[in-house]
Amino acid sequence: MQTDDLIAHLTGELEPVRGAEVVRILAAGLALGLLGSALLMAVTIGIRPDIIQAMGGSAFWLKFTYTLVIAILGLKLVERMGRPGTDASWPALLLAVPVVTLMSMMAMQMMPADSATRHALLMGHSADVCSVLIAGLALPLFAGLFWALRRLAPTRLTEAGAAAGLLAGSAAATIYAFHCTESTATFIAIWYTAGIALTTLMGAGLGRFLLRW
Amino acid sequence: MIPQEAEYRSWMLAALAGDAAAYRMLLQGLTRHLRGYYAKRLGAAAAEDAMQETLIAIHAKRATYDPARPFTAWVYGIARYKLVDEYRRTKRAAAVPLDDAGDLFGADEAEAASARRDVEKLLARLPQAKRDLVRAIKLDGHSIAEAAARTGMSETSVKVTVHRALKSLGEELGDNHADR
Repeated sequence: MQTDDLIAHLTGELEPVRGAEVVRILAAGLALGLLGSALLMAVTIGIRPDIIQAMGGSAFWLKFTYTLVIAILGLKLVERMGRPGTDASWPALLLAVPVVTLMSMMAMQMMPADSATRHALLMGHSADVCSVLIAGLALPLFAGLFWALRRLAPTRLTEAGAAAGLLAGSAAATIYAFHCTESTATFIAIWYTAGIALTTLMGAGLGRFLLRW
Repeated sequence: MIPQEAEYRSWMLAALAGDAAAYRMLLQGLTRHLRGYYAKRLGAAAAEDAMQETLIAIHAKRATYDPARPFTAWVYGIARYKLVDEYRRTKRAAAVPLDDAGDLFGADEAEAASARRDVEKLLARLPQAKRDLVRAIKLDGHSIAEAAARTGMSETSVKVTVHRALKSLGEELGDNHADR
């Protein structure tokens, strides 16, 4: 086709774009993913029976806040990755804030403890399943966010996939906090972070296969 | 006058609101930039396809442009993505690093120019009439009949003249080599 004909064709089918179209697409993908992940947890491992009491204590809110802050930065990263020519370095750098904060809390717990207490802090009673469950719960979020990103225009596919994986993992971890009965900063710093890192790596690996357009 | 950021951005904002005339200006303006960008990196033949694909991508993904950010950076992001996609498809990614592509084509041109200079130097040794005939037939691609009609010679004598001229040049080249 001649370029002039192509331009005439594209001009002919031009329609006004609604403002905040990107936000709408991302919100749809995220909402579907959250719904899917919450349902998945409810029908498999369930919400902890004492959730009402737990919400009165600080341990629940530590988990919830840690993963929520990462998820908010992850959402900002995904939004930027979906737009060509946009720099995403500041939300990525800000990720250091929640991680370093929790790592410091972990250091304050671990340093005065003897070795038996350290082992208990590190392993809790669910160290073997925590990260894997977070990654599993992240799957519906993963699908929703990859669907949304494909409708945008990611140009760096590995980074875009990593951002989607980070958001999927941190949002799934926020949901998982309603199931998990662990209560120490050390456990959260290690195993929640590991679960989110796992989904981030999955996203980075899958990005260039699933996000091409 | 080549349009720049401010002009492109205002056309884009108008296009997003549904202004077809501004959209046409935008796409036509971008065509020139994209054609040059791809011609340098993919060669003229592939450039046209790559450019059209990029125009379609710009159209399909126009909602992802954030008016708070530079328009040229947005277009460059898409153009570069399509370039990498093309390299990936033709498996040239490893062989042709992006920044070296320009140098490569530049070197080709320089070599061709230097070969042309050598031929001209050689031709200068021939008498004027023979030189014109050789140039017309061997370099400019005219047929024997055309050359014959133009010079008023018969086709046979054109053929013989060119043949002898080339032979004498060949002998001179041979002598040069023998001298060394």
